[in-house]
Amino acid sequence: MRLLHWEALCAIVAFALTLLFVLVPGPYPMALFTFIAQPLFAIVAIGYLSKVLADLRRQGSL
Amino acid sequence: MNLELRQIVMLLGTLTCLLGVILSIRTARTRFDRIETSGQDVNMGITRLPALAFAKLVAFAALIALPAGAVFIANYHTFEGVHEVRGCASCHVMLPMVNDMRDPNSGTLAARHYKNRWIAEDQCYHCHSDYGLAGNLEAKMTGFRHLARYTSRTYHEPIEARVRFDNKNCLNCHAGTPRFEAVQSHKTAHERLVSNQMICLNCHGQAHPTSAQRTPGSNDYARLMEKMK
Repeated sequence: MRLLHWEALCAIVAFALTLLFVLVPGPYPMALFTFIAQPLFAIVAIGYLSKVLADLRRQGSL
Repeated sequence: MNLELRQIVMLLGTLTCLLGVILSIRTARTRFDRIETSGQDVNMGITRLPALAFAKLVAFAALIALPAGAVFIANYHTFEGVHEVRGCASCHVMLPMVNDMRDPNSGTLAARHYKNRWIAEDQCYHCHSDYGLAGNLEAKMTGFRHLARYTSRTYHEPIEARVRFDNKNCLNCHAGTPRFEAVQSHKTAHERLVSNQMICLNCHGQAHPTSAQRTPGSNDYARLMEKMK
């Protein structure tokens, strides 16, 4: 089972937008980074942590 | 090799993002249930790790550690890069202010500060960001609002400042200097200047080109909107 599939795909998109902003720091790349890439990274972190918690509960560690 | 901070940020940011993409692709393709049952080890040179532990480490790096690093590095441009005049001029609505400031024949306050080198660098940010943590954060939030308005094209020319300019930005440098103190009206109006009841521009003229000059179709519009060299 690909447990972290959508989280990884979102991270790829966010990394691509961040790379664009790092290399070409203009207003449009900045807007993409600020309003899309950063929230995507936050969603990825939440998705990852929720699955880690679920895994820990499944193992009886929590 | 003499690298500037900006180039180091670009290099580190590129490496972090590329590594993040590679590890994210690997994480997206990882089937954790198969790895769990395979029971294989991964040789990391200095130690051997169970394949499942290695896959979890890769996932943590791809989804938590590297994104945190990428956001930290990229925000250099957001919080430090925008101090530069070039950062302000990258939005075309700011070109009239920057072109006028760099025009040696202009008599506006901004141009006089620029050509006399009263402010050596980051001239826009020096006058338009109130000092102190709260002021700076407020300036950043205003910047985010401007970014959203600019990139969504929900603005009209000529742009108008929504906030009242704080005299503190002027007084931080000028107050207490012999030339400032020698002017009688500065002493008379001191309280009103400090409390922003009276603005410096009342006596010292326009800071930037007027709204009329910045209106599309005006005689000065084409000159003020020339792309920066």
